[in-house]
Amino acid sequence: MEIQTEWLTYDVIVVGSGGAGAQAAYAAAEQGAKVLLVSKDPLGASDTKISEGLATVRESGTDDDYEDVLSENVKLAGGDLPIKKLTDTFAKYSKDAYDKYRVHGLRPSINKNKNGPQSLPLAMGGHNRNRSVGHENHGIAFGHANWASIIKEKNIEYIEDSWFLDLIVKRNANNIHGIVLGGLVYDAGKGVLLAIKAPSVVIAAGGLSTLFFPKTDTMRGNTGDSYAIALRAGADLVDMEQLQFLPFCLASPPSYEGLLAGEPVTASYLGVLRDKNGKVILNGVHLRTRAACSEAIMRAVVDGRGSPNGGAYLDMTANKVLPRSGPYFMKFLKTSLPTAYINARQALGKEAAKVESSWEIRPGAHYMMGGIRVDDEGASVGGDKEGSVKYGISGLFAAGQSMGGLFGANRLGSTSLTELAVFGNRAGIAAAKNAINKASIINDEFFNPYISEYKKLFGRQGTIASTSLKEVLQKESWEKIGPVRTLKGIDEMDNIIIDLEEKLIKVAIPDYSLWNQSFLDYVELRNMLHSAKAISLAAKERNGSIGGHVRLDGKNISAFSKPYSTLVNKDKGNYIVKKLDRDRTPIKRLIYYKFIGYKRLLEAKILLMLPKNIQDKKLEKKYKDIMLASGKVPEIIPGSTEGAIGEATSV
Amino acid sequence: MSIINNSIVINIVTVRDGKDKTVPFTYNKREEKEKPMALDVLMQAQSSILSDLAFRYGCRARNCGVCTIDINDRPRIACRSRVKDGDKLSAIATLPVLSDLVVRRDGIARQMRGLKTSGQGNDLNVDAPDVYHELTACIECYACLDNCPMHARNFDDKLPGEMESDLPDPSIGYKYGNPFSLLKLERLRQDPINSEKGREIALDKAIDLGLDACIECPGCKCGVGIDLKNKVIKPLLEAAKYKI
Ligand SMILES: Cc1cc2nc3c(=O)[nH]c(=O)nc-3n(C[C@H](O)[C@H](O)[C@H](O)COP(=O)(O)OP(=O)(O)OC[C@H]3O[C@@H](n4cnc5c(N)ncnc54)[C@H](O)[C@@H]3O)c2cc1C
Ligand code: SF4
Ligand code: SF4
Ligand code: FES
Repeated sequence: MEIQTEWLTYDVIVVGSGGAGAQAAYAAAEQGAKVLLVSKDPLGASDTKISEGLATVRESGTDDDYEDVLSENVKLAGGDLPIKKLTDTFAKYSKDAYDKYRVHGLRPSINKNKNGPQSLPLAMGGHNRNRSVGHENHGIAFGHANWASIIKEKNIEYIEDSWFLDLIVKRNANNIHGIVLGGLVYDAGKGVLLAIKAPSVVIAAGGLSTLFFPKTDTMRGNTGDSYAIALRAGADLVDMEQLQFLPFCLASPPSYEGLLAGEPVTASYLGVLRDKNGKVILNGVHLRTRAACSEAIMRAVVDGRGSPNGGAYLDMTANKVLPRSGPYFMKFLKTSLPTAYINARQALGKEAAKVESSWEIRPGAHYMMGGIRVDDEGASVGGDKEGSVKYGISGLFAAGQSMGGLFGANRLGSTSLTELAVFGNRAGIAAAKNAINKASIINDEFFNPYISEYKKLFGRQGTIASTSLKEVLQKESWEKIGPVRTLKGIDEMDNIIIDLEEKLIKVAIPDYSLWNQSFLDYVELRNMLHSAKAISLAAKERNGSIGGHVRLDGKNISAFSKPYSTLVNKDKGNYIVKKLDRDRTPIKRLIYYKFIGYKRLLEAKILLMLPKNIQDKKLEKKYKDIMLASGKVPEIIPGSTEGAIGEATSV
Repeated sequence: MSIINNSIVINIVTVRDGKDKTVPFTYNKREEKEKPMALDVLMQAQSSILSDLAFRYGCRARNCGVCTIDINDRPRIACRSRVKDGDKLSAIATLPVLSDLVVRRDGIARQMRGLKTSGQGNDLNVDAPDVYHELTACIECYACLDNCPMHARNFDDKLPGEMESDLPDPSIGYKYGNPFSLLKLERLRQDPINSEKGREIALDKAIDLGLDACIECPGCKCGVGIDLKNKVIKPLLEAAKYKI
């Protein structure tokens, strides 16, 4: 039997039940809007739930943590690419948005003196104040709060096991921008298509790291749906070449592939990277940026000097063998990044866990800094510079990892959970306001072509399985638009995408309606392809290394040159790629940052030249200085600048 | 090292249109000494002979709670459960199957819809007791539905697959509860920011869901080791003493 269509009408559709989606849905419902939240994973299952659960809360550490201090911090960390209006908004609402989370059951430890959430006891590396709040049970605590905010509000209807397929947009006469009329959803749990009329849609469908699977620590569902859906609807994407890869993820055994094993800083003072012949390919690892570590590893791989599983060796044994400081190093390693250490112990075994041998590691995809181009309310924008809603898709909103423009070329740790709270809330409110009195004017006719196109896919004859194409795409993406890139590789990627798109037409899909796995795989593969296209276009537009975009055949883009963002859009089937001007931070500040970087590297070099016994004593003191009374060290957030100290100085 | 030593046969139970079929799948070890997880087997099956095999997974690290399946008829978290030659993998038996190893889960969470208990506007700056955090460790894997007589009431005291009459409609939420829902309610009761009224609502909800089933029950087991018996069931029964 042909798959059936059900028609529904809502004020606001929210796509995704991670942090951004849950917060947007609740905020919209609070405004009185009738909300439908759809989520392809079970309610709340998302990157937000599996995260380390550290959130940036302004003033949680010190009273002098003013809005402009935090805002500038985020902007500079992002290589000056972030839009000031967005970093200002982030700074202004971080506390309020976090408190909303607490209303839904998130319970941090309380700092009795300040009568507020307790921040970690140190100013995190890249953060210029001490303002990251940790939580028991990590991200799972956020998962419970998201679950509660969706479940308890009667104005929110939710459907899980439901894949949002496409936005329905009415183009205006000059075809430059459009108006959202709703969306089409496949409810796999019921086996129907849902044609949903709604004047506002909030995309909160997360990132795209599955494009690099299994070389990633994120959720399976990160198939780039956010970006692909927006692109097909004509929305602008920004900074799509800016992906954060963590350099030290596990390369084996297969069940642990991609999971986090460490950060540059956990390699500690004497950690080095080696190739398969044992030759040192990078020293001073703890002071390097993630990009520099990834580059060293991948250069070895490209030259045929990589480890058996396509990585390199992180050798920390020199830290361990020193009689005085060695035991302190082990404590530091175990407690600074506990989940990573546990991953490594389980995966690599006892000897490696005691650091008696080196660890085979390889970069892994973690976070997409770019995304849907929005304003400070999460509304889609177009046009020059920071853009305007006049040229965006009216009624389209984005929040969380799906949005772009806030983090630019690099994201500080603990800022994502705050981003999704701030912009999830704001997008939810704006979406609700946009929907007032609009639902009734939506006409069926715009939906029909989409419905018939998707219906035709059920029962389509074909000779290929999506899974085989997906594996090709994942492998090629890793090599060509992954942690390191060359112009040649990016060009080749274009052809691979064209080839895979042609094969996509030959994918076989059976005709049954209930949980049709082949249909789901097809839909996700197509989204991954469209996201890959956006990355490769943006990557070509940026012909030097900056932040998450590392070009093996290009120079580093100087911090003193004029910053710009990349823009990708699709209009009438043609891709458009452009540069967008960004404002530069005053030179004096930039020089200051550079200076700190040189000073650190010099100090590290001097330490290495000292006789072993003096070195040992100096290190013992250094470890003691960072240890807390409990004998532990403050936890590091994967992806934070503290995890890669060099990041703070690489503006 | 012979080739035979480097592969194991795992029986995967597929389900289409309500009919199940056991497929013996030969898993080829990717490393000589590999001890694969159940999830590895499912992924290799999907990328070879069973390309449209349906199963859930997310984090591969025992955090997201969606990959729970039955291994030899006991609920296990697939991404962190090793398998051996001859093992059987199937959908968890305690919820209705949608396809292969995928069950419909939403009837559980939906039974809590509209439950507004926290007293908003209270002072947020209060430390939660340890037990609140212990209960927050729940990853919502639903392993605890196994052998729960309260949950079985939804299906005429049987498993969904054994039920003769029509299955209850999950889209309105199951009528009877389970250890997970009770954990959520007890967590609300332990939330320092909740009002007395809110605690009362949570307790009444537990009774509504069939808390009486717990009186005679030997107790439930959690997939990640939360002490459900002492931290959830006992305190709820104690508080409801005069009500059931
Ligand atoms: C291991 C790890 C640790 C991290 N630690 C931290 C940390 O400590 N601090 C920090 O700030 N950040 C951290 N991050 C980053 C942060 O967790 C994520 O960036 C953030 O949670 C993203 O939230 P989101 O709401 O945008 O998307 P997600 O939480 O990923 O939610 C996406 C949702 O969209 C749904 N979805 C996707 N596509 C569709 C579709 N087509 N139709 C319907 N639904 C769809 C998914 O099912 C899911 O519900 C970490 C990330 C990882 C992987
Ligand atoms: S104690 Fe109660 S909740 Fe636990 S298994 Fe028994 S009936 Fe179910
Ligand atoms: S209580 Fe335990 S077994 Fe039950 S859903 Fe939560 S984590 Fe899983
Ligand atoms: S895949 Fe997340 S718990 Fe198994």
